[in-house]
Amino acid sequence: MQRRTALKQLFFIAGGIVLFPSCWGGANKASIALRKLYINAEQENLLAEIVESIIPETDSPGGKALHLHLFVLKMIDDCHNEGDQQVFVQGLKDWDQEMNNSLGQSYLVKIEQDKEHPLFDFFMMTKRRVIQGYLNSAYVMKNKLIYELVPGRYNGYAKV
Amino acid sequence: MANINIDSIKERTFDAIVIGSGISGGWAAKEFCEKGLRTLVLERGRDVKHVKDYPTTNMYPYEFEHRLEMPYEDKQKNPIANRCYAYREDSAHFFVKDDEHSYIQEKEFDWIRGYQVGGKSLLWARQVQRWSDFDFEGPARDGFAVDWPIRYRDLAPWYDHVERFIGVAGNRDGVAELPDGEFLPAYPLNAVENHFKNIVASKYDNRYVISARCAHLSQPAPIHLEQGRVQCQNRVLCQRGCPFGGYFSSNASTLPWAEKTGNMTLRPFSVVESIIYDEQKGKAVGVRVIDTNTKEVIDFYSRVIFVNASALNSNLILLNSTSSRFPNGLGNDNGLLGKYIGFHSYTAVITGEYDGELEYRTDGRNPAGGGYIPRFRNIYKQETDFLRGWAATFSASRTPSTDTSGVGVSLKDQLLHPKLGNWRVGSHMMAETIPKESNKVWLDTAEKDQWGVPLLHIDVAYDDNDWKIRTDYFEQMTAMFDAAGFQNVKTRNDDRRPGNDIHEMGGVRMGHDPKTSLLNKWNQLHSCENVFVTDGACMTSTATQNPSLTYMALTARAVNHALMLMKKGVL
Repeated sequence: MQRRTALKQLFFIAGGIVLFPSCWGGANKASIALRKLYINAEQENLLAEIVESIIPETDSPGGKALHLHLFVLKMIDDCHNEGDQQVFVQGLKDWDQEMNNSLGQSYLVKIEQDKEHPLFDFFMMTKRRVIQGYLNSAYVMKNKLIYELVPGRYNGYAKV
Repeated sequence: MANINIDSIKERTFDAIVIGSGISGGWAAKEFCEKGLRTLVLERGRDVKHVKDYPTTNMYPYEFEHRLEMPYEDKQKNPIANRCYAYREDSAHFFVKDDEHSYIQEKEFDWIRGYQVGGKSLLWARQVQRWSDFDFEGPARDGFAVDWPIRYRDLAPWYDHVERFIGVAGNRDGVAELPDGEFLPAYPLNAVENHFKNIVASKYDNRYVISARCAHLSQPAPIHLEQGRVQCQNRVLCQRGCPFGGYFSSNASTLPWAEKTGNMTLRPFSVVESIIYDEQKGKAVGVRVIDTNTKEVIDFYSRVIFVNASALNSNLILLNSTSSRFPNGLGNDNGLLGKYIGFHSYTAVITGEYDGELEYRTDGRNPAGGGYIPRFRNIYKQETDFLRGWAATFSASRTPSTDTSGVGVSLKDQLLHPKLGNWRVGSHMMAETIPKESNKVWLDTAEKDQWGVPLLHIDVAYDDNDWKIRTDYFEQMTAMFDAAGFQNVKTRNDDRRPGNDIHEMGGVRMGHDPKTSLLNKWNQLHSCENVFVTDGACMTSTATQNPSLTYMALTARAVNHALMLMKKGVL
């Protein structure tokens, strides 16, 4: 691969978010510009690990490779109210502190199944955005569940 | 100096002025220009050229920053626009933001607007049904509003004329209350929509489920290709503007057609402040425009003026056009201008599931959206405790459902392999409302917008008849869904505000009598005959049909009449 192409792919992901390595933007900041959320690099990394646990890499890319953690940050930052944003930031902090909380999947399922769990709201908000980002990712729409921009047909009696 | 002045006036003088470039204004422009009249088309918003100015049209979902969702801040800032189903990240640039043109809500009213060349014709739901005499004769028979001064036979040839040009996919269903037209092939119903159609046909005498009639080129005719439009490609991303011209909009169809004649002058960024009335001549002589870029006030002159500014803005312009002859607004001798506003009540939804026809699914997308149930209540006689009735959509889909429980490899696998479940069925109500004097708009005496034009008060609300109709819709549709074997049937109040149906009508109604109406049977102001109003403002009653087709037909008919009067020297 040409070095230039590789760089382009590194810095530009679908959706037009420009990624800067954290060393460019001063120490310990999230790698994308956020307007409301205060997230440091460690928290971003933690989120990436949570996201990867939700959608792991298999024979196809997982959450981290698809930058779904950045998508989650973007959506929580732009599309949620302040209350949600507080829950989200607090959730990341608590997760961090309780850590070494496991990132094991059984731990995540335990949260999901317990509405009283202190991290339940945080986790479900994150998970919803991860799933949205995954199903609407260029990777999935081009390779797995193909999105047709121009179907050019309609059949109301397609055989299953 | 005098010469310059004369030249300048000459440059600002046209045969016809059309206020507004939306679905009806585009038609006025086309008809006038085709007949050789020099026509000025005024648009308050920016220009939107077909294809070139559809920035999102070829974008994939993942190319939108928020995957089509409107950001929280935008929702806070623009609650009115955000309540419109079509206002999303791919189309928001075609909607008026709440603070761009404010209005005063006496009662909650969502005024959904598109201020750009093409207006809301870029955004409309493209459903087109003709009115019948059961609709035109409604007010006279049932004793509300005033009698329509026209009947179906007056409009039928103009429906033909419009349908042939815009392209309408539909079947000739032979339903008297929904006359057949000049159709391209219909988009067929799917397996479950047909099942429902058959059940309804077998159990009820006068109820029909038909393929929704829509302004899409299912199979373009030469006249459509000549417009530069080609077959609809089933994208169903219409609100972005269509690069194929697959659905009708002013931008894809009437405006370029008018432009091709060389007779059209299109002037965007032009807010019409008022229509200029000449007391000596006893008629309107032009319009006063505020250039939104320069704030300059410029007068334009013409022999005839068509007001197609969208229903409530047409009311606003006339109310603001005062003179010593018309101190209360142009043509407003009887004080009824701005009154008898109507709309469509969309306040009910019903959903269900069906576990039959499971050997089928759908493939591709249906631009028509599915089926349509014409009004069947109170058609031949009054038979319920409410006036008029409702039409409804009906559609069935079998989009795979995804199990989102759990995490990890199993979740990923579930997401990538959605399961085909039961069919889902749904319908929403489209009910007629009764125009009343108490549903009205008027101008504020002090508050003005950024162009110095008074703000509009809007005082429009539902009434008891609307709630009775909703109850009937729930009862009848539930019975029909049960008969079809649908399960898990749920009715839901759709608490949308008036206006959110985007079918506001009236205020400048047509009628026989100058004492009780503003417009005559040719859409001319009774007392200022070179001013025509042919958008939603002219509507005497609302019927249940999606109204745009009727506005277009009324416009073409009125232009034809104006041309005849101009030729005779009457106008």
